[in-house]
Amino acid sequence: MKGRLSGIQKQVLSLHRSLLRAARAKPPETREQIERFVNAEFRKNAAIDKKNYQQIEYLIRRGQKQLEMVRTSDGFSVVEVK
Amino acid sequence: MQAALRSSAITVRNAFLQHLRLTVAATSHRVPILLDSRVSFSSDHGTYLDKSSVTDRILELVKKMEKVDPAKVTPQASFQGDLGLDSLDTVEVVMAIEEEFALEIPDAEADKISSCAEAIEYVAAHPRAK
Repeated sequence: MKGRLSGIQKQVLSLHRSLLRAARAKPPETREQIERFVNAEFRKNAAIDKKNYQQIEYLIRRGQKQLEMVRTSDGFSVVEVK
Repeated sequence: MQAALRSSAITVRNAFLQHLRLTVAATSHRVPILLDSRVSFSSDHGTYLDKSSVTDRILELVKKMEKVDPAKVTPQASFQGDLGLDSLDTVEVVMAIEEEFALEIPDAEADKISSCAEAIEYVAAHPRAK
C-alpha cells in the first residue's frame, strides 16, 4: 500500500469492507462465520496475478452478489436465530 | 434594633423566595432545552477525544490483531513496513478501529490510513469519535 493503490485494488478493498460491515448487522455467531469466510476468501484470492483482470473482475462480481445476499438475508437470520 | 432585625428577616425571606422561584423556573424551562441541546451536541458538533487515549486504544487494538507481534507496535509503526501486514490485513485493522470508535470511515479515507500514526491522527481529528 506504500505506492498508490490501483483502481481495481481499491474496488477489491472496498468490497472487503462492505462485506465486513454487512456482517456487523448479524447476530454474533453468524457475524463471526461471515467474517471468517470473507477474510479467508480474500486471502485465498490475493495470490491471483494482479494482471489477471478477467478473473479479478469475475470475483468482484461474485463478491457483490454475495454482499447482496448477506444484506438481504438479514430478516431470515434474525428469525432463524429466534 | 427590632427594625433592623425585621428588615434582615425580610431580606432572608426574600432571598429564600427568590431562590425558590428560581429553581421552579429552572426546572420547568430547562428540561426540554437541555435534552434538545444534548441531542444536537452529540450528533452535530461532538467533541474531540484526547489524543493520548486515542493512541492507547488504537495501539491496544492493533496488538490484538492475529498477525501482529505486539512488541513491534508503537505509535509510529507502519502497518506494512513495520508490522508486516498487507492491504487485506489493513482493511481488518481499519474496520476494527471504526468499531472501537463508533465511526464509519469512507473508502477514500480508509485507503490512506497505513500506519498507527495516521489512524491516531484520523480518529483524534474526528469530532464524532466515541
